[in-house]
Amino acid sequence: MSSITEYFSGLFTGIRSLMGGMSVTWKELWTKKVTQQYPENRDTLVISDRFRAELVMPHDENNEHACTSCGICQLNCPNGTINITSEMIETAEGKKKKILSKYSWDLGMCTFCNLCVITCPSDAIKFNNTFENAVFTRSKLIQTLNKEGSKLREKKKETLAPKGE
Amino acid sequence: MLLNYSHPLEISNLTTWLDTTLRSSMPEFWVLFIEFALVIVALLTAYAVIALILIYAERKITAFFQARYGPNRVGKWGLLQSLADMIKILLKEIVKITRSDRFLFFAAPFFMIVASMATFGAIPFGKGLLAVDFNIGVLYVTAVSSVGIIGVLLAGWSSNNKYSMIGAMRSGAQFVSYELSAGFALMTIVVLAGTMQFSELIEGQRYCWNIFNGHISSIIAFVIYLISGHAETNRGPFDLPEAESELTAGYHTEYSGLQFGFYYLAEYLNMFIIASIATTVFLGGFLPIQVQGWDAFNGIMDFIPSYVWFFAKTAVLIFLSLWVRWSFPRLRIDQLLNLEWKYLLPINLVNIVVMVILVLTGLTLKDLFGII
Amino acid sequence: MEKIKELILNTVPDAVIEQKQKLTVTVAWQQLHLLVKTLRDNAELPFDFLVKLIGVDRGEELGVNYLLCSSTDLSKELVLKTGTSDRENPLLYSITDIFETAHFNEREVYALLGIRFINNPDMRKFFLNADWVGYPLRKDYDANPELNPLSFESVEMVDTAPRIMETPDGLVEETVNVFEDDPYIINIGPQHPSTHGVMHFRTALDGEIVKKIDVHSGYIHRGIEKLSENLTYPQILHFTDRLDYLSANINRHGLCMCVEKAAEIEVPERAQYIRTIMDELNRIDSHCLAWACQTNDLGATTAFIYGMREREIILDIFDKTCGGRLIINQNVVGGVMFDIYNQFQKDVKDFVIYMRSKLREYDRFFSHNVIALGRMVKIGNLSKEDAISYAVTGPAGRASGWSCDIRKHIPYALYNQVEFKEIIRTEGDSYARYLNRLDEIEESLHIIEQLIDNIPEGEICAKTKAIIKLPEGEYYSRIEACRGEFGVFIESRGERFPYRLKFRSPSMALVSAMPLICKNEKISDFIGIGGSMDYVIPDIDR
Ligand code: SF4
Ligand code: SF4
Repeated sequence: MSSITEYFSGLFTGIRSLMGGMSVTWKELWTKKVTQQYPENRDTLVISDRFRAELVMPHDENNEHACTSCGICQLNCPNGTINITSEMIETAEGKKKKILSKYSWDLGMCTFCNLCVITCPSDAIKFNNTFENAVFTRSKLIQTLNKEGSKLREKKKETLAPKGE
Repeated sequence: MLLNYSHPLEISNLTTWLDTTLRSSMPEFWVLFIEFALVIVALLTAYAVIALILIYAERKITAFFQARYGPNRVGKWGLLQSLADMIKILLKEIVKITRSDRFLFFAAPFFMIVASMATFGAIPFGKGLLAVDFNIGVLYVTAVSSVGIIGVLLAGWSSNNKYSMIGAMRSGAQFVSYELSAGFALMTIVVLAGTMQFSELIEGQRYCWNIFNGHISSIIAFVIYLISGHAETNRGPFDLPEAESELTAGYHTEYSGLQFGFYYLAEYLNMFIIASIATTVFLGGFLPIQVQGWDAFNGIMDFIPSYVWFFAKTAVLIFLSLWVRWSFPRLRIDQLLNLEWKYLLPINLVNIVVMVILVLTGLTLKDLFGII
Repeated sequence: MEKIKELILNTVPDAVIEQKQKLTVTVAWQQLHLLVKTLRDNAELPFDFLVKLIGVDRGEELGVNYLLCSSTDLSKELVLKTGTSDRENPLLYSITDIFETAHFNEREVYALLGIRFINNPDMRKFFLNADWVGYPLRKDYDANPELNPLSFESVEMVDTAPRIMETPDGLVEETVNVFEDDPYIINIGPQHPSTHGVMHFRTALDGEIVKKIDVHSGYIHRGIEKLSENLTYPQILHFTDRLDYLSANINRHGLCMCVEKAAEIEVPERAQYIRTIMDELNRIDSHCLAWACQTNDLGATTAFIYGMREREIILDIFDKTCGGRLIINQNVVGGVMFDIYNQFQKDVKDFVIYMRSKLREYDRFFSHNVIALGRMVKIGNLSKEDAISYAVTGPAGRASGWSCDIRKHIPYALYNQVEFKEIIRTEGDSYARYLNRLDEIEESLHIIEQLIDNIPEGEICAKTKAIIKLPEGEYYSRIEACRGEFGVFIESRGERFPYRLKFRSPSMALVSAMPLICKNEKISDFIGIGGSMDYVIPDIDR
């Protein structure tokens, strides 16, 4: 007898559990969907400010940046992603000085660990959140961050003007 | 009389007209020849179109169950998605598997598709939209649809792939088991209706569908038919032969391009076939909802063409099948066989006896309330 | 512990006992097996849990460090060290017969350091192919790519294993078959939807029934431990996120802790709060995904997407806090890299409420489903003894009745200040593991609730030297990651690079138990059990 009750109670609890599951999907059928419609929602899409998508070197209105070409970021990068080329020039006072000629960063090799940014003594680089970086050739992933003709911001200026970001 | 009420939107008007015109100008043989050709073309087109619609509907409904939107890029609301998919599948390369049994490998998908087409041809879609009206219609459908399993078994065997093999073997066990239940469930109704011919089956349900007529017994048979039909189509939660997470794609792992397309198509069509047989046998087929004595109401209901009724009822059943599919996890092979041999089959056997008693003692609704 | 010292000296009188960061015992290789066995079998305080087995090239000798602890009290730890000066044919005794978990670990040591273990029943290389030239973790390894050229040739699988057995007439080298005669083998993986990555199980079947599983790993071996030997500690940090990427933050926390302890850096209170909250969010995220994947393995695709949906909210919070979603780079030596954002508390509190309602939904949707029950209850049984022997920790170990939560036994960060239950079930089956994860989500929510409103003001990162050098020594840290105990071992020679760095991967232990618990189950359940163990492959391969 007990095996018969077991048979039927098993059958009915089984059916009830299945119904419970179906009620969840039924409810979901009428709930608002969570999928984001990219790229249609480009205008309303909010990407967090801190999102690390691309390394940039902020330049101010005078086309000046803060990179002293010290090479610390290059040294700290675990992947050899950053490549700094600098040259020696002689300043007006006759002092030798190293200036940045090319700051190249390879997006394809970067692991976005943020070490370069936090170790930079001059706050010269940062990550921004422009995430649409897809390109068709790999060579295009290697970017030069200092702009054409840009130069180092003078120290004095920096204390006067707000940081150019 | 109301029964003969014909409506301007019925396709049967068109077919009768065509028939008369042809007959007036040609000998009998050519008339039949042309008509056969037309029927075949119409069925094949319907086959493809219904499959496309079903694929789209399934993807959309599934997505909605899953908090997604589903296809919405190709055409408005993604309406052209399945068309695009079809074109893609037609253009895809058919990969030749070196160490497979070429002939069987090639033949297997045809078994599948032929079986489902042959079944498809016997379905009464609407008034006058029945290609062949066998006097053993129910038997024919059950018999022909089981040819499909040969396709699955051959595919598994000839692919020379262990995943395929396991999938096919599972499919064999599953099909043999559930075919039994499906057959018995249909037989229960045959006992009730006293006929195997689809046209008579439908006509008998004008005022009282079979599912109501045999009340308890019919409802049980209906549920069992839906479950075992669902299992026969190899769709979740009974998709063991494919079992994506276990066997990658089961018996059709090695198939590509159009050959895979055949399996894909047949799967959807089988779902439709099961739903439409259930509609025909249990839910009054293409007949509108009619209540004996409410002539005005019946008139209004009759105004809707019969094929609309048919497709609407089928759609409800298909939705049910999708709902189940996307709610449950997959069964294991022994659970699957348990369900059949421990639950469905015994219940079914008892049920058929109950039905016989109901019919003999005059306890069906028709007998009780004197419905025609 | 005094008694233990006595016991050690009684067993092996020559043993050298030192009190370093952990109690360290150095013995000759011939005596190690006996000592380990005595330690495990002593009634006083059985050292029956092999936490880590670390191969080290000490220069003059090739050696192995064993971190043992007691399964009843994880804070009672002991390090055993042994080694051999034979660099040509280094041999040590295997302890596989005492701890099952040693099996894979010894094979790993063989692949990376070339030490072979006598009596290990299957001495194939783990991670690397048999024909790999050189032993990468040796200091004199030649990394010239020409020695190990990339090959696109298809290689037949060889199902034989070499081994060295000790017999009365000395050592015998022999080759044995992995499978019994004429097996029906299917390859599950390396490309398979349910291995959750590039894992390769060669599975011998009898019909639908699994007879034997042979694990092949290493398809995603990146040599992180080797790479780390040439990187500074802050640089190594970014690797930890790429081990078990689903508990990225916790792994990183583990490494930071190890370095902080060694360099004696005090972590500010605020950073501890942020770390703990982020760790728990990470745990929920991982368990949601584990739930999703397990249901998907059982064929419930819809549930998979529900799990992903909830996880996405946590990823959004991560994104806003640290600018990353999966690989979040939050912890640094001394604290955290990013402070929380303004809306952080509100977002997290909203999430806690939302997640609770979803947990109820999961329950209704899947936890009582007859089909699901049939596929999980009494399937893949792992007894407590086996769990300990195979070192299966985390939700899976606790499902076998083993209290192994590091957060309880050796509290770190703020875990001694919050109240939470350690979820323990005794059934040891797939269902217990399944329920454990869901309950742990609830506990994590509870922990977060206690902390979220009390985050103190202050620094988020302690001042550290520009170049972090660890004093000479061996340092261990242990942390409760989402899949079990994650451990870090650093041997420092006083430089800015570690001399040897080793991660204990919880997933490796989970996978090593798979052949045991899947034996004689159906092939579908093998997949389901895999889902319930929830291993992550990059964590195994490292
Ligand atoms: S970006 Fe910063 S760290 Fe890098 S070279 Fe320029 S100043 Fe130095
Ligand atoms: S984020 Fe890391 S990997 Fe990328 S450039 Fe900076 S230091 Fe290098």
